[in-house]
Amino acid sequence: MSYIKKSPWLVHYDGSSCNGCDIEVLACLTPLYDVERFGIVNTGNPKHADIFLVTGGVNTQNLPVVKQIYEQIPEPKVVIAVGTCACSGGVFRDCYNMLGGMDKAIPVDVYVPGCAARPESIIDGVVKGLSVLEEKQKALAVPVREKQALRERELEPEVAINKSQEAGK
Amino acid sequence: MGKSTVVPFGPQHPVLPEPIHFDLELEDEKVVKAIPSIGYVHRGLEKLVEKRGFQEYVYVAERVCGICSFGHGWGYSKAIEGLMEIEIPKRAEYLRTIWHEISRLHSHLLWAGLGADALGFESLFMQCWRIRETILDIIEQTTGGRVIFSVCKVGGVRRDIPDQELKEIVKRLDALKKEIDGVADIFLNDETIHARLKGVGTVTYDEAVALGCVGPTARASGVPQDYRIGDEGGAYKELGFTPVLATEGDCFARVKVRLLELYQSLDIIKGCVENMPAGDIAVPVKGFPPAAEYFTRVEQPRGEAVYYVKGNKTKNLERFRLRTPTNANIPVLVKMLQGCDLADVPNIILTIDPCISCCER
Amino acid sequence: MSEMVINIISGIAYLILAPVIGGLLAGVDRKISARMQRRVGPPIMQPFYDFFKLWDKQPVAVNKAQSFYVTGFLLFVVISGLFFFTHGDILLVVFTLTMASVCFIVAAYSSNSPYSQIGAERELVQTMSYEPMLLLMALGFYLNCGTFSIGEILKSPQMNFIYMPGIFVGLSYILLIKFRKSPFDLSVSHEAHQELIQGALTEISGRSLALIELAHWYENVFLLGFVYLFFAWTAPWSPALGLFMCAFTYFGDILVDNCCSRVKWENMLASTWLVTLVAGFVNIMFLMQIR
Repeated sequence: MSYIKKSPWLVHYDGSSCNGCDIEVLACLTPLYDVERFGIVNTGNPKHADIFLVTGGVNTQNLPVVKQIYEQIPEPKVVIAVGTCACSGGVFRDCYNMLGGMDKAIPVDVYVPGCAARPESIIDGVVKGLSVLEEKQKALAVPVREKQALRERELEPEVAINKSQEAGK
Repeated sequence: MGKSTVVPFGPQHPVLPEPIHFDLELEDEKVVKAIPSIGYVHRGLEKLVEKRGFQEYVYVAERVCGICSFGHGWGYSKAIEGLMEIEIPKRAEYLRTIWHEISRLHSHLLWAGLGADALGFESLFMQCWRIRETILDIIEQTTGGRVIFSVCKVGGVRRDIPDQELKEIVKRLDALKKEIDGVADIFLNDETIHARLKGVGTVTYDEAVALGCVGPTARASGVPQDYRIGDEGGAYKELGFTPVLATEGDCFARVKVRLLELYQSLDIIKGCVENMPAGDIAVPVKGFPPAAEYFTRVEQPRGEAVYYVKGNKTKNLERFRLRTPTNANIPVLVKMLQGCDLADVPNIILTIDPCISCCER
Repeated sequence: MSEMVINIISGIAYLILAPVIGGLLAGVDRKISARMQRRVGPPIMQPFYDFFKLWDKQPVAVNKAQSFYVTGFLLFVVISGLFFFTHGDILLVVFTLTMASVCFIVAAYSSNSPYSQIGAERELVQTMSYEPMLLLMALGFYLNCGTFSIGEILKSPQMNFIYMPGIFVGLSYILLIKFRKSPFDLSVSHEAHQELIQGALTEISGRSLALIELAHWYENVFLLGFVYLFFAWTAPWSPALGLFMCAFTYFGDILVDNCCSRVKWENMLASTWLVTLVAGFVNIMFLMQIR
């Protein structure tokens, strides 16, 4: 049984954001929105986290930082890009120092638009991220041979069927 | 001789919501040297004036910082209005003042919560932000957004607040005063907070003047530096304004100054509502900015911000330069960090109320 | 039933039930703290969800020594608890607990991260702060009841608290350190954001972190057992009073946590030793006089 949906711990990083989305992320912890009732804890340590909540876009200085934090988070992990700047660069898209949204640095699973993204949207994004996280957890648990068989069935169905028929003979 | 370690503080850190990096050279938990490394939030948006029209740019200027957002929109609009010699209606001036003071309320409460969180006092953090939600409700009701207002434009403001609504807002803020009393009481009287903040990060009057700090950081050392004192033509002059000062210059004094400024903002909002003139909220803007330069200032929650614009008779400005208060406070921060304990580092950094996205634009 | 059978059953019950009770205590702690902060708070079973989730995470061990010392920490905590609940020697319990703290500190030191190192140093200072009080508590029980054996202490003719109020005050004070609550949550802090990221636990993740949580649950249960000892005597309603005082002390610690900020290590050391001296030592002098 996967407990990851019941106890997602998140780490939050601000990469070139104007702080609007960051204070809305912190507002999610406060009494009006209170995400701790879902078991969500804002841990500051990437090594303890499951969800990586990023705000703001990628610029030349924070590109290696974002990548390093992403690599420090143990599997399974989910990346949620909060705010228009994290999705695509936002108003700052044409600036000389900006490389674009967060998907230029790390693979993003959930995009939460808004400027600034409201706490309700952020919580909604996190909940969607939880189902992605659960899928990843299940995928990790599947042994390697089975994964290969699944992939073959997807790519070339006739070959896979012939193989299994031959194996059955 | 103690053991010497170098602790890399930031850019990813739970205590500071923004990325700033310090290499702290420690000797047995005492900071010997603090070497800052900034640039993580630098977007280069001053150069964006060359690509966006001068009226459209207000929306970019607002997004310099999400916490002091209205102040930046106001400063930029004021600079363009000064450059093009546009005079905005009185009602717009008063409305801008009300929104700016509400912005100051939300910024100081946000800061108070973060400060309490860094001290390890999570319940106080929760209380401060819960109170702040009332203010965000007022902001949302009047402008449509919680964080980025988008209500200031070149020539005035985009939305009006009807007088009836203004009176209702004042009533809500009066009810808020009692809650702020509760929080201020804890900050000012709790023993453990005294132990952490008193005598920490002291800046004398002369040091404050020599290092050029602004805002509550300077006012806590007794320097009466507040743009609202000499404001020409704004609502502050007509209402009369005295800055809040303290003399000790340590972290506790800075906390005190900001808490007292909360009450002052409530009084200013009430004064504006009582003296609210009737009239238009904006004037039409025609033509392009002339080939001239102009600069103006706004007292942001963190201190004085300077806005410089230079036109060139086209739709795009030649140059826009913004000197934010955190820029001016970084030298005093580096001075304060020398010789402090590791446990004091987040408190000291938070007492200058750093807004790194303002600082780096 | 003979003494030995009771002791064995009690020990086995501790091994099986203590994690459950400890986890529920942690869940109740978070729920009550949340309510005090005017929030809803997580469900009471949340610590168990956290534990199982941590168990399934990808292992990211810094080095082999870390897992070894974390397992050592868990083992020594369980052994101390077993000694306690099989009515062994209270002094031995205190010393095995110290061994457990040492394992934890070495586990934190074993990584090179400066945050872990400073967290481990703070953990050492914390241990220095509360050790004298624990030893004075064991000494106090010896002077009051004439024995170090927990089995005999439980059967004392009058309530132990009557002659040891100062030591009880001292114990409640240091329980704040052991439960990792403000004002003394310097090295590791569960919810709070502090300058050391997660302090001593920064480099520990996944299964090792789950094991440390488990060890804390075991530890919390038998620390509350120390509180129970003060209110145990031969009267039939003493278990009810003992359990009530355990709940009261735990609730009191949660209340203090929500009303204080964190202090610096100098303050913690000074104030704890002051309380140990005034409340604990004076009580010991008094006990030695009336003997």
